Amino acid sequence: MSEKKIVVPGELITGERKRLGSHVFVENGKVYSDSLGLVYTDKDVASVVPLHGKYIPRRSDLVIGVIVSETYSGYIVDINSIYRSYVSKEYIRENLSRGAIISAKVRDVNEINEAELEDVRVFYGGELLSTSPVKIPRIIGKNGSMLNELKSGTACSIVVGRNGWIWAKGGNVSLLVEAIELIEREAHLSNLTNKVGEFLRKKVSK
Amino acid sequence: MAKKEEKIEYVKNGKRLDGRKVDESRSLKIEAGILNRADGSAYLEWGQNKVIAAVYGPREALPKHIQNPYKALVNYQYRMATFSVPDRKNPRPARREIEISKVCGEALEKVIFVEKFPNTTIDIFVEILDSNAGTRVAGLTAASIALADAGIPMRDLVAAIGVGKAGGEIILDLNKEEEDAPDAVDIPLAIMPRTEEIVLLQMDGLLTKEEWKKALKLGLKGCRQVYEIQRATLRKQYEAAEKEAKVGEKGEREKGEKVK
Repeated sequence: MSEKKIVVPGELITGERKRLGSHVFVENGKVYSDSLGLVYTDKDVASVVPLHGKYIPRRSDLVIGVIVSETYSGYIVDINSIYRSYVSKEYIRENLSRGAIISAKVRDVNEINEAELEDVRVFYGGELLSTSPVKIPRIIGKNGSMLNELKSGTACSIVVGRNGWIWAKGGNVSLLVEAIELIEREAHLSNLTNKVGEFLRKKVSK
Repeated sequence: MAKKEEKIEYVKNGKRLDGRKVDESRSLKIEAGILNRADGSAYLEWGQNKVIAAVYGPREALPKHIQNPYKALVNYQYRMATFSVPDRKNPRPARREIEISKVCGEALEKVIFVEKFPNTTIDIFVEILDSNAGTRVAGLTAASIALADAGIPMRDLVAAIGVGKAGGEIILDLNKEEEDAPDAVDIPLAIMPRTEEIVLLQMDGLLTKEEWKKALKLGLKGCRQVYEIQRATLRKQYEAAEKEAKVGEKGEREKGEKVK
């Protein structure tokens, strides 16, 4: 992790030629940020990690969804995006009713950002937690380090969707909610994994 | 109504009626993220002006026939509270409010990457709680902070300020008293600070060419000051939290970073 710099929309990131990461744009050969966020640049990529924002589906994202309605050949799924998504019944063996929670992989996204899903897994019971989609990378952590910390600390089974929804079952879910709130609050700071680990250990030992 | 004999001096010894200099704006204070249920929000105090801006979206545009498959709609609503002026204001949106909504919405449409969100609408609600001239620029300044708070991709922020003339002098950020001067000219001006591209410009009254050049120069300078305050507002909340954390775990930081 290089130095962290907070930028506002329209602020210059670099004048050099670089590959464009997320949330940047080029004007007159210079790279600018398009949102409020933290700059992550290295030798050849310029990128901004936003601090706010909605979820826009990307191909092969894992998302958590809720069934909204049924059509002849599939289901309409709410995936916490601006746009609705569709999953074919090909990928599901059982009949789902409105309100069922599933996890799925984004198979494809069309030109108006509507997603088609595949690899569906249906959840029974458990709870659906919600957080901001831009905080999800921190909740997962480097190579899943934060997620492992959360799993071992709360003894929940957790599935984290890229869209900001988290499914959790068993264990201490209310402690998990507290930990997620902590991550949300301090998502832009470093050394968070250790801090959350300590927080969980302190709470469990009490 | 006004007596002919009585003549107010709007600028006396380089100072204005409220003690400001000619090129001095009123004190500006902005706070981002004040509403929980909105996607982005901002509260702004500019002299006596008080404004709340809320952003919802991008969200599905309804009814469906208004959707545009090539871009998002920007729906800007400027409204004045009934108690925002000395006499009660009729809450029904008047001609003035509808016009301001239109021009400010178009100004923001210029900075938002609307083409990234087809078939949606971005709703911006600006409520004027207290007014003392220059509310449209105050609303626009607040709305651009609210948009950044909502995480909506933008080319730039929008910084806005009023310039004009009162008592024969070109002045920055007129208040109500100055706007009511017999020779008053009022120019709301909004720019994209990075390129200094003008996104909103209106004018009430008459100016000579020289006066206009001077007013524009003064206005651009004012906008740049507004932009600095906007930038500081957006960065403030995160920088404060960062400092706090650094004090708490100075020793641990080194260790943690090596592990990563």
